[in-house]
Order: sequence, then C-alpha cells, then structure tokens
Amino acid sequence: MIPLKHPTVVVPVDFSDDTEAAIRSGLERVDDPSGLHVVHVLVPLDYASPGVMFGTISDASREKAIRENLGKILAKIGVAGVQVAVPIGDPGLKITDYAKDINADLIIVPSHGFHGVKRFLLGSTAERIIRHAHCSVLVLRRRDAD
Amino acid sequence: MQIPTVATAFLRSLLLAAILLFTACGSVLAQGPVASDAETTSGVDVSADEVGSDEAAGSSAAVAASSAEESADEALGFMKRFENKANDAAGWLVNVIATVLFYDISKPFVAEGQEWGLAAVVAYLVLAATFFTLLTGFLNLRAFKHAVLVTMGKYDDPTDPGEVSHFQALAAALSATVGLGNIAGVAIAVAIGGPGATFWMIVAGFLGMSSKFMECTLGQKYREVRPDGRIMGGAMFYLSKGLGELGLGPFGKVLAVVFAILCIGGSFGGGNSFQVSQSMNAVNEQLTFLKDMPWIYGLTMAFLVGLVILGGIRRIAQVAEKIVPLMCGIYVTACLFILLKNVTEIPAALTAILEGAFSPAAGYGGVVGVLVTGFKRAAFSNEAGVGSAAIAHSAAKTDYPVREGIVALLEPFIDTVCVCTMTALVIVITGVYADQSPAVREFIATNQGAALTAEGMRREITWFPYVLSAATFLFAYSTMISWSYYGERCWAYLFGDGSSLVYRILFLICTFLGSIVSATNILELSDLMILAMAVPNIIGLVLLSPKVRRDLTAYWRMYKAGEFIVVSPAPVAEKSA
Repeated sequence: MIPLKHPTVVVPVDFSDDTEAAIRSGLERVDDPSGLHVVHVLVPLDYASPGVMFGTISDASREKAIRENLGKILAKIGVAGVQVAVPIGDPGLKITDYAKDINADLIIVPSHGFHGVKRFLLGSTAERIIRHAHCSVLVLRRRDAD
Repeated sequence: MQIPTVATAFLRSLLLAAILLFTACGSVLAQGPVASDAETTSGVDVSADEVGSDEAAGSSAAVAASSAEESADEALGFMKRFENKANDAAGWLVNVIATVLFYDISKPFVAEGQEWGLAAVVAYLVLAATFFTLLTGFLNLRAFKHAVLVTMGKYDDPTDPGEVSHFQALAAALSATVGLGNIAGVAIAVAIGGPGATFWMIVAGFLGMSSKFMECTLGQKYREVRPDGRIMGGAMFYLSKGLGELGLGPFGKVLAVVFAILCIGGSFGGGNSFQVSQSMNAVNEQLTFLKDMPWIYGLTMAFLVGLVILGGIRRIAQVAEKIVPLMCGIYVTACLFILLKNVTEIPAALTAILEGAFSPAAGYGGVVGVLVTGFKRAAFSNEAGVGSAAIAHSAAKTDYPVREGIVALLEPFIDTVCVCTMTALVIVITGVYADQSPAVREFIATNQGAALTAEGMRREITWFPYVLSAATFLFAYSTMISWSYYGERCWAYLFGDGSSLVYRILFLICTFLGSIVSATNILELSDLMILAMAVPNIIGLVLLSPKVRRDLTAYWRMYKAGEFIVVSPAPVAEKSA
C-alpha cells in the first residue's frame, strides 16, 4: 500500500467518553492537524420544547454550543487547526456525505455496539457509515460498548 | 441513496410498533369484550362505580349492536367494525387498569352499597400531596411570594445553564395543563357534587402545589444538559438516576421505562385524541355540520398539528402558545364580569359552596361524595403528582433546582385555585348546575361539560359561547402540541433522538382517530394512562423526598440570609455566591 500524502481523516464524535480517544486516533493518522475533520451531527430540532417555543434554542445556538464544547476538548488535547463541522440530519448519512464532499481518505468511527431494541430501531451509525462511505472506515470499539 | 436508508429506519420502527400493537390486540381479543366506565382526566367525568359491571357490559354490547346496524349503510362500515373490535380490546385493558386505579378503597371498610366512591388513584394523589405539604412545612404558603418574584424575573441570571427563563418554563408547562378540563370538567364536577365540590377542589389544588414542587425540583436536579445546549429532563431521568443514587438502580430504570411508556400512551390519548373529541363537542355547537361529518374536524386538526410537528412550521405553535394566555385572560375576565354583574349573589354563592362542602344537600352523595368529586377534578386538572410538568420545568435556566420547583408551585394555583374556581363560581352563580330543563340535564347526563359552561355563560353574555368555542379549540390545540412534546421526549428516552419521526406519525393518526372514534373504551384507556403515570412517579417522589428536603433547607437558608442576587430591573450577568 502506498502511504498517503497529506491524508484527510474524518472523525465523527458524539461527546461520549471515547470522544477524546477517537480524536487522538485521528491525529495519529494525519501529518497535519488541518487534515483532521471532527464532525458532530445534530438531530433536527424539535418543535415544541420551551426553548424552541420561546426562540432561545435554534440551530445556530446549538451549532455555537457544539463548537464551544468541541473547542474545549481540542484545547485539552492541545491541538490547534483541526477542522470542525456541525451538519444537521441523519448521523450516518451526513457523515458519509461530508467525507465525500471533502474527498476524505478515512473515516474513524467509535461504535456503541447497541443490541436489542435500540439496535433494531436506530440501526447502527457505524454500520451505516460503513455501508455508505466512499472511503475506508476504521471502527474503534468503545470502552463503554455493551 | 438517502431515501432508502431513511425509509429502512422508518419501516423498521413501524414494524416494531406494529408487532407490539398486534401482540397487545391479539392477547386482549382473546379475552373477549368487557366494557367499563372510568374516570377521565381532561374533561369528562364518567362514574367509575360500575367498572366491569354487567350493566356497563350490556350497554357496550348495545352500542356495538347499533353501530353494526348503521355500518351496513355506511361507506365507513369497515372502519366501524374495526373500531368496535378495537373498542372491545381496549375495554379489557381499561377494565384491568381501571380496576386497579379506581378501586374504591372504602370497600373493605363499609357495608355494601355504602361505598364512598373514593378511587385509589385519587386517594394516592391527595395523600402524597398532603405528605409533601407537611414535609416541606407548607412551602405552598411560605414560598408563594418568592415564587411570584422568581417568575417575574427578579432572580434571573442569563448565564445560568438552561433553555428558558422561569416565566417561560411556567408558561410552557401551563399550556399543557390549562385547557378543556378547566372549562368542561369543572362544570360537570359542580353538577355532580354540588357547589361544595368547589371547596374541596380548591383544597386539593392547594395541596397539589407541593407535589408539583417535588417533581419539578427533581426534574431540574437530574436533568441532562446536552452538548448542543438542549435540556433533557423529567420523571424518567430522576427515576432512573435519582433512585440509582439510592442504590435502587434497576428498580428506578423499570419505573422510568414504565413512566415513559405511560406518558407516550397518555400523549396519544388524553393529550391528543381526547382533546380532539372533547373540543369537537364544543365547536360543533356553533358549526353544526360537524355533527354529521366529524372527520372534517379530525382532518383539520391533524393538518394543523401536522404543519407543526411534521412540516416544521414552528411559528404556528409559537403563535398558538401566545394566544392561549390571551384566551385564558379573556375567559377569566368574562368570568369576573359575570361575577361582578351578580355581585350581590356572591355571598350566597360562597355560603352555598361552604355549606355544600360540609353538609351538602341530598343527591350529592354526602360529604364524602362531594369531597371526592372536588378532589378528583383538581387532581385531573392540574396533573400534580403525574410527573408530566417536570419535563417542561427542567428546561428553566437556573443553578438551583429548588428555585424552579418553587416556580412550579404556581401551576396548580393558577390552574385549579384560579381558573377552575372561576368556572365553578360561574356555574354556581348562574345556577345552571341545578337547572332542571331537559337541555341542561342532557348536557350533564352525556358529560358535555363545555356545553354546560357555555350555557351558563350564555345566560349572562349572549355571544360568549362563540368566544368559548374558539377558546376551547385553541386550548385543545396547544394542549396537543405540548403533550406531543412530552410524549416525544419519553419516546426519545426509550428509543433515542433519531426515531421521533415514527412517534410523530403515530401522534397524527391518533389526532384523526379522535374525531371519528366514538368508542368510549379507547378514549378512556388512553386517558387513564395519564393518571397511571402517577404510580411510578409518586413512588420516586417519596423515595427521593429526603434529598429534596435537604436541598430545600439549604436553599431557604441562603434565601433568608439574602445571599441571592436580586436583579432589578435589568438582569445582570453576575452570579450569587
């Protein structure tokens, strides 16, 4: 295999305990932090929670909060220049769409390993990413996987 | 590429829902039809005494038979048959739940035929409320002024974590509770229990303030702040996390899941279908063509709700939420106007209420009968102890859970002690509850409470029934939107954020069904679920009450020591120590 030059890696995160580990794993595989794209997909906003009713929560405020929270994690790791994206929609699809748009070389995804009803209802984001990705996918087993 | 994946997820969820539904239906169909009359939360009171009796079963069979005859000529024949089958199935479940919730707890103690009609769930709610009132040292009295000041924004700190201000959280929670029950249910309660029921309703509303305090404090205490700033809270969180801290993790999880399932069921029924069917009764007094074509109303409602929950047009919901307080204001003003117009009769009305509470006239079931009627109405109207409001109150911006709990005290006060009492006074003063004219008797016999209130108000302000119909429609609409939010939060708790589309579609189907399903069992079953939520919720509240008490003591000490920053008039961004 020919080593990649300036590889682009996408790391989807959901702020679970393994977020930091996933980002570190991504950093190991890029030669420059700017090649690392950390993506958090927001589920569409509901319509009747008090925050939505009174206009204090919006997609813009949510994106801002995510960027701030991700910023804290990145600062803790001590890395600068990482790209952050916060699309809204179905996590599996938005991540693969994003990876395709930036022509990523690799997606690194932590997996919940859900079983039972949750698995049946939600499917697995990791599974969907594998199915739809145009590039290679590395699945990290999460410490809290059940 | 996108569509197949979304469709797969949707079909997958639908399949699961269908499996669950058919399993439930299959098992109940095997049991055969059993009908029952049970209490309903939001508007109509049906006597709970004949639960499972032969008489009730007979009347259900008669209804089924007559519906079958009609269905032969109707294009909707299949629909009717399906409805009858589903009604029989629901009847079995209603019977089981109602037998437990409405078990007359006086039965073992008094002679047959002398029972008090004191449903277990009502006793459970009132006992718990009394316990919490004593435990918090009558916080509903001593924190009242503080509650008003906090709601006015005197302690607001915009940097505190949360979504909305105290006032906004209270308004959101009120839109789910103030509604048809305040107009329709109260009128029927006064008709059944006499003027004295008003007194006991106020007493129960006052005690209910303490239950609300407990559940909303806990809702705040165990809420989750998501990375995107959204708040997730409610009974399911304090049941699982709170009881987990007490070393009762698995038990708490079970209670949380039971609560969430009941809340979803309640949101389909009492918070949805029931609102449609009840508001339709009021609206079709003005728009008479709806009596023959109820499906038009169902489709309209489903369309309007769908615009918001599927179409994402949040603006409509926002406007409705803003009109509702206005409607509430108009309603209370109209009531006050009627009271002022009859100011000379107020002393007599108050006497009737007090005398009726302790020595009621014949025909109202004695003191206990009156007391139970009043208690029931309060419990069903303000939903204190049910745990639903904690979902909305958990969104308030604050560092002190107790503070939002204190704001929540005002909810039963506004709902029951103010709005319900207004309706009751109008019903008493206009004398419509004791009117012997056939039209009024018909309203009472068929539990058309909204029509009864409209009749009372029409006697004083001839055009007001039109306003009342519009108000009823809006109350129903905003209650539905609020309950769909409660239900969706519970759905998300069980199945994750990503599957809410399935919930929303099921919700709209129930909206439509509310207009055409006349089957009482189905409506009652869905409505019973809201009351049943109190069972897991109050177990949690009692077990967690020492924690709340500790937090309250600490908060009250700081408050009395003047350690909180009072912002006036503009909020400042500094926090108190």
